Amino acid sequence: MMLDWLKNINKEYPDFWKTYLAKFEHKSKRYVVFSTETSGLNPDKDVILSIGSFAIVNNKIHIGDSFESILLQYKYFHDNGLSNEFILESKMKKLSEPEAIEAFIDYIGNAVLIGHHVDFDVDMINSALMRLDCGRLKNEALDIDVMYRKLIDVNDKQFSLDELSEIFKLPKSYRKSPSEEAYTIALLFLKLKNRLGIK
Amino acid sequence: MNTIAENIADFLKEYPPFDNLTFQELSAIATSIRVLNLEKNETLFQINDKLHDCFYVVASGVIHLSVIADAEETLLNKCHAGDVLGLRPFFAKNNYMMTAKAREESIIYAIPIITFRPFVANNPDVLNFLLESFATNTWNPKEKENLRGKLANDNVVYIDQKSEMQYFQSLTYNRLPLTATINDIAKDVALLMTENSSTSVVICDNQLPIGIVTHTDMCSKIATGQFPLTVTMKAIMSAPVVTVVENVSLAEAQLLMLKNNVTHLCVTSDGTDKSSVKGVISEHDLIIAQANNPGVLIKEIKRSSNGKELKHLRERLTELIQNSIHKNIPLSNINNIASEINSAILKRAVELSILDLGSPPARFAWLSTGSQGRKEQLLLTDQDSLLIFEDVAPDKYRDVRDYFLKLAKRTTATLEKVGYELCPNGHMASNMLWCKSLTDWTKQYDSWMNTPGENSNDLSSIFFDLELVFGEKKIFEAIENVILKDLDHNTLFFDFLGNDALRKNSPLTFFKKFVVEEDEPNKNKFDIKTRALMPLIDGARLFALHFNIKGLNNTYLRFKQLAIIDAKNADIYLNCAEAFLTLSKFRVNEGLKNENSGQYINLSELTKLDKEKLKNALAPMKELEELIKSNFKLTQFS
Repeated sequence: MMLDWLKNINKEYPDFWKTYLAKFEHKSKRYVVFSTETSGLNPDKDVILSIGSFAIVNNKIHIGDSFESILLQYKYFHDNGLSNEFILESKMKKLSEPEAIEAFIDYIGNAVLIGHHVDFDVDMINSALMRLDCGRLKNEALDIDVMYRKLIDVNDKQFSLDELSEIFKLPKSYRKSPSEEAYTIALLFLKLKNRLGIK
Repeated sequence: MNTIAENIADFLKEYPPFDNLTFQELSAIATSIRVLNLEKNETLFQINDKLHDCFYVVASGVIHLSVIADAEETLLNKCHAGDVLGLRPFFAKNNYMMTAKAREESIIYAIPIITFRPFVANNPDVLNFLLESFATNTWNPKEKENLRGKLANDNVVYIDQKSEMQYFQSLTYNRLPLTATINDIAKDVALLMTENSSTSVVICDNQLPIGIVTHTDMCSKIATGQFPLTVTMKAIMSAPVVTVVENVSLAEAQLLMLKNNVTHLCVTSDGTDKSSVKGVISEHDLIIAQANNPGVLIKEIKRSSNGKELKHLRERLTELIQNSIHKNIPLSNINNIASEINSAILKRAVELSILDLGSPPARFAWLSTGSQGRKEQLLLTDQDSLLIFEDVAPDKYRDVRDYFLKLAKRTTATLEKVGYELCPNGHMASNMLWCKSLTDWTKQYDSWMNTPGENSNDLSSIFFDLELVFGEKKIFEAIENVILKDLDHNTLFFDFLGNDALRKNSPLTFFKKFVVEEDEPNKNKFDIKTRALMPLIDGARLFALHFNIKGLNNTYLRFKQLAIIDAKNADIYLNCAEAFLTLSKFRVNEGLKNENSGQYINLSELTKLDKEKLKNALAPMKELEELIKSNFKLTQFS
């Protein structure tokens, strides 16, 4: 990290990234819950297909304070011989990867990020940022699976989002898109935060 | 485009009032929604909280709406998925009037008032739903069931006990209203109103009300120059006029004015505008009616300067009780109000004595015992009181005691003037035995409780129903703690109290006939106090002491609390609580009828149905007796 920083000391970042970095002078009270849909599990080779996210302020999910987008990955689709059927049908906002990442960075600001197995999502965003000549995400990140394991004091098992929803009796139907996934994660986060006594 | 907002809109459109809105409108509303998670027993808002900037819809889980008064949490309503709650901010400026608490883990949508308001204003169906929800004043659980789904859930307006009476009282209003026809001219009508100093004129066609012209109409339409002085009533009247039936209650009148946003109601013979005019109720009438309530009575008691004035105020209380019983207000509520007023009278009587005698030489506590100590005194019964003063230096003791005896004598004399007879057994603070220092009282309770039966002929269980009337709370608490300490593992004391409770004479003969008095002056009457109420009172006290229930003296509330603490016998306790209310009502009615304590019921004056009712209310006593026997293992003694 240190070397990374030295190496980049004279590097000129894109404007949106400079704006983003400046936001970390203050600590945020805002949480952003997010989830990505990707083409696979390799952060170097795979790409993000869509992002869904919501903000939580004062223990409330703000439905209007959200970001969702489909990322148009023309090269990936072409290389893999995939149709772009679902892209045409979806009503969700469509952006190119650079546009989407810039908008997303702008949206999250200095918020604490929340996700399910969030390290992977963060890695995916970082890879995309690298392609834009930016640094890595600076936000703190919390993982609801880790939170749950802490709550029940279990170390040797991971819990899928489905399992967690089941345990907390959340309705199952909400899981078709990253937005719905993010909403479920947000509800789980509120419940876990309370049970763990996180202020 | 927001996926979750659309999901929420999909959810909302199933439920009123949202079913009146388009999907686009609902999506827009959903975008402004905030979602919150409530843990079990977490509170969303509670009584007297400042209003939030939003109202709520239950997404999943159950929310209970309740009010808490004394030990009773009264559940008003349960809200399930799709139910709307917390509508107060739409209509009222004052704080929340109930508590909303999650019965189980729940997810709630908070909808900001500011986003929802335009949809209300532009959609009459939504407006009506909210108005009706808010204006309907239902306290009947059966009715509540019928309204389910039709109204929002905080429609059940709970009226707190102090103001409850005033809501049910009927109104006095102008029964000779001014009338005019649509062809009368503004100037003439204004003169008529001025001469009669009236704020309204009902516009009639053949005796039937078709409109109304009020002071406000005159100001806003004539005085502004909008219409000339010569305009006819037809042009400026408000129509149709809101009509009500005769004998409308204050509560209904108030709600109708609020609902219709008017200041005058027209009373007609059948309550519709198709019958003749009987009178006009103005906002002013409502204000006057509100002045005549228990709160005002208490204020007047605090200002009164002698026993005679207190006597008049006590008579007004009797009137209030009589009216409330007539209007079928639950007896437990009447009890609460009456005991507040009784307390105020007792307190004022002590105060008046102090004003006469000068400041007391030591701190003290004046306690009520017996029925007032239990807060269930509706009739003028005899006095029961005791006085505890703090310990003083031995050389001061005599003077201090003399002062308090004098104080007590004066006070009991004042109370006698008010109408409370002196206790025939001398259980009063004016008796040297019941007016002593804290140390002496501690010894007294120790000896009563640790060696009951020996040297304690004076032990009366009413000494365990105590209520602080005047003086130092700390002294009162000191005695409470002595009692508490002596209760610990005190089988002997419970044996004694238990046997005492069981010793009361049974109310029915072997052949299920009432046991009546054999001697004059109450020959052939049924002694409801000794044979029916006392066993329940004693039983409730015994178990309350056994389970360490502090701060609840009332027999009804004691049974209610016992049902919570000792859940496996809940049925017995709840039956006893109800029976106690029924029996008390019989006694109160008898007492009000004969202007006495109501102790002896004249059975020949009861209807067959009432006799049955009375007999049924005696049934739970048997169960209670068995419970006492088994709980305190008393079979071997009795």
